[in-house]
Amino acid sequence: MNTERMLEEIREANLTYLMLAQRLIREDRAQALYRLGLSEEVADVIGALSAGQILKIAASNLLMCAMRFNDDLVWNLLTGHSRQEKGNAGAAGMHAAILMAGRVAQPA
Amino acid sequence: MRNKSVVTEAREIRVASDLIGLDARLQVLESETQLSRERLLRLYKELRGKSPPKGMLPFSTDWFMTWQPNTHASLFMAIYDHIDKACALDEVEVLIKAYRLYLEQIGQLGLQAVLSFTRAWRLVKFFDCGMLTTAPCTHCRAPFVVHTHELVDRFVCGLCHMPSRAGKTKPHPAGALMN
Repeated sequence: MNTERMLEEIREANLTYLMLAQRLIREDRAQALYRLGLSEEVADVIGALSAGQILKIAASNLLMCAMRFNDDLVWNLLTGHSRQEKGNAGAAGMHAAILMAGRVAQPA
Repeated sequence: MRNKSVVTEAREIRVASDLIGLDARLQVLESETQLSRERLLRLYKELRGKSPPKGMLPFSTDWFMTWQPNTHASLFMAIYDHIDKACALDEVEVLIKAYRLYLEQIGQLGLQAVLSFTRAWRLVKFFDCGMLTTAPCTHCRAPFVVHTHELVDRFVCGLCHMPSRAGKTKPHPAGALMN
């Protein structure tokens, strides 16, 4: 992948993410905080961005969103590599869901 | 004391409608709004086209300790706590939002909802009065619903250490939630 193409894709991912985040925050702030895993402060900033600001922020060489879970267990449960997956598919998903919901956004 | 403010009443009717939409029992509506029983009954009939179910509410904390209800209750409380900590809202609004997210998550997992709205409401009340709380599992560190004075030093959750028959119950024949 050449650099120009990579930057273009990062810009697009940023744009999609920021626009979705903004829509969610404006529609239902409380649910958005849960879905996005953002702190209130960051959510307020994103909610108030203008279209021009979003375009400008998106044009970066860095992705604006990061992985939400840095936990082996969550990833094992989600990818189905855990012992639980055998015979009880629902339980692994449930376990992952509780783990993820229990993780509160780090204050910015 | 009757509340006279029309704006407050409009807000309460909206909350009551949301609650009725989520299948809450009449006792929940009475507890969460200042509206009179007659008005709530009329609202219920208007929205549902039938009278609300009668009878006592479930009142046991033990139900939340059995394997399947415990996983669902723990998921719901994790969502509830998350929203509660993330922003300042009335308890009933957090409850409604958290319950909708719970139903959504359960649907995504392809599971049946085990926790009815009335049970979820009960659960939050049990937390408020200190009968139930959450404890982190010592293996996965996820928060699970436990009795308040239980010894949790070596607590392992029902999902890290699954009982052999867990999750193998047949679905309820009527497919109905046990309210």
